Amino acid sequence: MNSKSKAVVLFTLLVSFSLSGCLSEEALESLESENSCSAEIQIRESDGTLKILTYDIAGFSDELIAQFVNESGIEVEFIRTDDAGGILDQMMLTKSAPLADLMIGLDNTYLPTAIQNCLLMEHSVSDESFTTSSMEFYRGPLAIPFDEGDVCLNYDEDALTAANMSVPTSLWNLTEPEWNGKMTFPSPTTSSPGRAFLAATVDYFGHSPGNESGNMSSWWNAVAKNGATFTSGWSESYVNYYTGGYGEYMEGHIGGAYLTVSYCHSPGVEAYYSGNYTHSTSLVLPRASFHQVEYTGIINGAAEVSAANKFIAFLTSLEVNANMPDYNSMYSVRNGTDLPETDGYRFHADQAIVSTAITQQLIEQNMDDWLMTWQDAVQIN
Amino acid sequence: MATATVKQTMEPVHRRTLKSFRTLIVVVFLIGTMLPFAYALIRLNYVTGWTLWQAIFEFPHVYGGLEALRFTFLEAFASSLLTVVIGLPIAWFLSRYQWKRIRLLRAFLAVPFVTPAIVAAMGFLSLIRQDGFLTKIGIDLRLEEGVIGWFAEVSGWQHPGHFIALIIAHAWFNLSLMIRFVEPTLSSLDPAWEEQLSMLPGGKSRVSRLKNLWIPVIGPAVLCAASLSFLFSFTSFALVKWLAPTSHTLESLMAEAGSSAGIVGYRIDSSELIYSVAILQFLVLLLTLWITALLQKRYSERLSLLSEQGVRKHHGPPSRLAKFVIGLGVFFTVLPFISVLFSSFQVRKITDGSVEYVWTLEGWRNAWGGDLSTMGVGEAMSNSIIYALCTLLVALPLGWILASTIFKLEQSGWSKSSKLLDLACMLPLAISALMVGLGVLLGGLRWYPEMFSWFLLPVYPHVLLTVPFVVRVMLPAYHSLDPAYTEQCQMLNLSPLRSWYHGTLMFLRGPAVVSGSLTLAFSLGEFGASWLLVRSGNWDTLSIVVDQLMSRPNFDPLIHPTAMAAATMLMMLTFFLFLFAERFRAHDQRSGF
Repeated sequence: MNSKSKAVVLFTLLVSFSLSGCLSEEALESLESENSCSAEIQIRESDGTLKILTYDIAGFSDELIAQFVNESGIEVEFIRTDDAGGILDQMMLTKSAPLADLMIGLDNTYLPTAIQNCLLMEHSVSDESFTTSSMEFYRGPLAIPFDEGDVCLNYDEDALTAANMSVPTSLWNLTEPEWNGKMTFPSPTTSSPGRAFLAATVDYFGHSPGNESGNMSSWWNAVAKNGATFTSGWSESYVNYYTGGYGEYMEGHIGGAYLTVSYCHSPGVEAYYSGNYTHSTSLVLPRASFHQVEYTGIINGAAEVSAANKFIAFLTSLEVNANMPDYNSMYSVRNGTDLPETDGYRFHADQAIVSTAITQQLIEQNMDDWLMTWQDAVQIN
Repeated sequence: MATATVKQTMEPVHRRTLKSFRTLIVVVFLIGTMLPFAYALIRLNYVTGWTLWQAIFEFPHVYGGLEALRFTFLEAFASSLLTVVIGLPIAWFLSRYQWKRIRLLRAFLAVPFVTPAIVAAMGFLSLIRQDGFLTKIGIDLRLEEGVIGWFAEVSGWQHPGHFIALIIAHAWFNLSLMIRFVEPTLSSLDPAWEEQLSMLPGGKSRVSRLKNLWIPVIGPAVLCAASLSFLFSFTSFALVKWLAPTSHTLESLMAEAGSSAGIVGYRIDSSELIYSVAILQFLVLLLTLWITALLQKRYSERLSLLSEQGVRKHHGPPSRLAKFVIGLGVFFTVLPFISVLFSSFQVRKITDGSVEYVWTLEGWRNAWGGDLSTMGVGEAMSNSIIYALCTLLVALPLGWILASTIFKLEQSGWSKSSKLLDLACMLPLAISALMVGLGVLLGGLRWYPEMFSWFLLPVYPHVLLTVPFVVRVMLPAYHSLDPAYTEQCQMLNLSPLRSWYHGTLMFLRGPAVVSGSLTLAFSLGEFGASWLLVRSGNWDTLSIVVDQLMSRPNFDPLIHPTAMAAATMLMMLTFFLFLFAERFRAHDQRSGF
């Protein structure tokens, strides 16, 4: 066989193989074992560097990390993902052979999945002096909160006044004609605030045994029919469509949406960076908010366990954690801390009326179903 | 006599060794190209439980799939069309007149093609911002007021602004394709044809000349450029991500689900989506490549033999209209770059609700200091350069050997095999960067998890994605080689290595520098695969740092100029490389890139 024919045959074989989907029995078994909790986890090989899996937290600047390195003598390397969902994806993908020691950024809508899949191991950091609200959802050895905040609806006060619209007093108001085409929501399948708000709607529309998602499906279907725009992430909703946020100064802005999902304290963050000016405010309705807590925890199979514990202690120390409003635009989880008063940060941050009905167990058991229900409800074409 | 006999017996051995080496390289390349894609498909096949046919037939039911397919076709067609509309007059005037500093003009008009997609995205974003150039001249693509608002109202098309920005950016990006294909055809067309035809009944009117001369002559070149423009717009990722964030192409839809795909028992919907979309995209791109290859064949046939200088002399110095069109073209290409540069020095300041942009160096300070990103631009730039150099070390020899193999096959009369190998060399362009990245990710984790931590991992997809360009530059250079030089070397009884050095290498130095610089530039700007594979914050590239900054909530006004400063650094690096490469490009270089 000459060289050309060999090349052709090999090429054909490769294409055929790729399209046939044929796998050996061993390979299939090995793939199947990945999903069970009992699957053997390979301990990451120690290289003296603490590897941290996280999303882009602005506060983790060179300066802050240098402070930790100087204090502890431990080298740090960050493994970057896009958001909380990305952290969970990465942990699931590398479950049998972890690549990092510590995760920072899973929130309480993702944490149950991580725990359920044995992705975390016990830490040894004390959780005393933490706020009650941060410890309500999960208090255990596998994860520890590092920041918190309430996800709720934000609306543009000026736009509502100009359009002579009234502030909603119920989520059902958003299905009325005056709100047609004036709302935007990040998708709960790809956005962590979107997921948190989905959980809030489950709470709002009253779940009960046997009807775990309550009537939330009807509401989501109605808002979809009322011209709501669904985007993949928080940024697309808040920056591109929402008229009340900093998006109006950004290039990608389209506008048109007077209401979106963000945090109850987002108007405070807006004011803080805009010389105490904002025309965005929160819609505080009972049970229409979700208290989001972001966690850090040691990844099962970590090599640098002691270093990971030191970093958790550093991150949750009063000195560092009190700066969370600056670092990550979220509340600190340490008792006795609050948002800064500067430039209206605290003044414009609204307090949510949150219930504790959506528990870790509920999320663990139902999140996949809620997401499917949501997807069916908003697909109206 | 004895020496001559030894030489005679050595030659077949030398040839056989070379042949085996070439075969090995071809096999390695084909395996390297197909393996990540094949592995990703096998994995998705297992996770979803879908057969290949199921994956294709389930496409209409995949969440967001049909919408993305519609949008991808629409933007790719519109972008190709706009590329022709903008590029054809520029190529026309550039080819017909004697321009002073034509190399520089060509370089300015061609630089968008090698510009990193993330820089192009930042450039167009800064053009359409509140205080940007387009808004100032009344084209508000952002809030869709004025002309765009009127267009939206008349057409009933909701939010056309971002779509328009996207297709303009694609046309900007692909402009050089029109110039590289159309200019050589027009500049080498015998002016006598035009004169003679105008005296014949079939060439009396402009319309008949267009029908009987211009369309047959430049048609294949235009279609070639348009089909490649379609191909690149179809797989566009960074530009879509930033300029049309509310729409999805098939590529950006896959990117969104990429991180959760291929995991057993977890987010099966993501795996189903990727499986279905990847196969459909692969088939469309394979078809596009096949059509492009056919068009390129017709294009090569149309090229006449008259020297470029003679045609230009015939038409003389450029007319006013020609100067205006070329000036406009250069302005169009440099505008986004200038806009990025300016934006890196401006920060928004809100006072009592009104916004103003003030000049500052804070963006540059933050960018260098890495205060808002995982690292400073200096460090990110050195990472980018390391990746680019490693890519160059592998992609250039690999592409060169593949080009020479295709050429040898052609010369030996293996026409079909050479065409097949030529098409196979373009395969990495049919497999999206993201799929290559996903395949490497899933395959690497399965077989050798530690590989994922290996900082050089992104070099693999970079090599795959740059080899087609090396082949496309080196192959025409091989075609233009005069075999007489090699024959003379052999007559002088030089060793095979010295014959190759004097008869081949000396004539391929220029194209090798061009393809090397292109490889460096493409690797510097590669985004899709790096986006999926570069996870270690210690190895972030400049492209990744720009995206990282822009993806962050921009409450803090300093984030934006910092991102623009990082984009400017990447832009300057690419500029330098490209201008360097253009010095080595021969006047009559007829390669597509």
